[in-house]
Amino acid sequence: MRLLEVEGLTKKYPKFTLKNVSFSLEQGRIMGLIGKNGAGKSTTLKSMLNMVCPDKGTIKMLGHDFRQDEESCKQNIGVVLGSIQFYQDKKLQTITGVTKRFYQNWDDAAYRKYMSMFELDEQKQVKQLSEGMKVKYLIALALSHDAKLLIFDEPTSGLDPVAREDLLELFQQLVKDGKRSILFSTHITSDLDKCADDITYIKNGEIIASADKASFIQTFQSLKAPGEDSLNLEEIMVRNERGTYNV
Amino acid sequence: MSNLLYKEWHLAVHSVVYLFLLIGALLLVPAYPYGMIFFFGCLGLYFTSQFARENSDAFYTATLPIKKRHVVKSKCLLFVSIEIAQLIICIPFSIIRLWTLPDGNPVGIEANVAYFGFGLIVYAIFNFLYLTVLFQSAYQVGKAFVIAIIPATAVIALMEYSVHLPSFTWLDSLQTGDLIRQLPILGIGILIYIVGNILTYRVASKRFEHVDL
Repeated sequence: MRLLEVEGLTKKYPKFTLKNVSFSLEQGRIMGLIGKNGAGKSTTLKSMLNMVCPDKGTIKMLGHDFRQDEESCKQNIGVVLGSIQFYQDKKLQTITGVTKRFYQNWDDAAYRKYMSMFELDEQKQVKQLSEGMKVKYLIALALSHDAKLLIFDEPTSGLDPVAREDLLELFQQLVKDGKRSILFSTHITSDLDKCADDITYIKNGEIIASADKASFIQTFQSLKAPGEDSLNLEEIMVRNERGTYNV
Repeated sequence: MSNLLYKEWHLAVHSVVYLFLLIGALLLVPAYPYGMIFFFGCLGLYFTSQFARENSDAFYTATLPIKKRHVVKSKCLLFVSIEIAQLIICIPFSIIRLWTLPDGNPVGIEANVAYFGFGLIVYAIFNFLYLTVLFQSAYQVGKAFVIAIIPATAVIALMEYSVHLPSFTWLDSLQTGDLIRQLPILGIGILIYIVGNILTYRVASKRFEHVDL
């Protein structure tokens, strides 16, 4: 079953266009959305969630049209768009107390478990958390209402190597029972080497490839020099994006 | 609806709003233009919107399992709840005033039935202009305030000026007969407030649908 289907997503800005973005994500899989800074990863995710108003395109989550059934779709997804930037002076307890009221499937036991696992103190204010802790708090919120589809925008970028490793391990555990899927954008391709099943590559607002990891890597082997070993994700991205400067 | 209000009062309200809720105590000042209470009310709404913007309130709200337009609904509900609470808190002060300051207010309008009707009209105008301009961008709180406060202040000034005209002395009265005569102003105020806020929500939410957060 496809938990996410994005079809023909288009958004025009004066100096950037998200062009006809289409991809899909099957249940029980982790997809990495890769691309360099400014390629359109965040715009894609925000357009999917109606936070950016797309000009064209359809989004289906768990078989429902997102625009038509925004509320029920959002009940079944967990979203982390970058680090937490809201309510810096509020305690985590207060934000949780508000957030949980909106979710029908809120699970307090799961919330406590993740808060404890991430060593988060509810009595702390948002501004007292490190960037990594802020991301972890948002992930704890996202995981506490039995979300089937988890959408993360660069969740690992503020984390230290140990926390990153932990998080990637957690991602793999979350999809192990085959019920959940994760879509996460990143420019840290080594994260994907460890845990992604599928890769979607966006460049200048266009999807240039979307496939399972092995097929994806195979597609770009034409970029390697004669006698060179198989290219990994980072090398594929660098060779696709490398520019020249004429200073 | 209750969840949205809960969210607003627990996360998005600036603490100065609590002070402005009690601004009705100014009705105990012997000589004062009581229309200023509505002006301060509008100022409190501006401060709380600024606080919400600095705390990325719209962004957080849009991630919740609600429709995008409910971000606007949430703010409309907050504005209405603050305004109604402020006006209700004014009532006991207006009654205490009758006993403690029976000579009336020489500066402007008395805290009578017409006063509360005008208050609802001022807030309806402020809400419509402020929220429909604000939700064109979801961040231009200053622009929205300037556009909204000018006509709101004009209504306040008109109210305060009119009671000095001989033909409108009944507006400045606390006599039972005059209070009854003022009832249509309260009725019109209630009507404008209800219709105005429904219209505010419709226009502002339609505009917000096209905003990129």
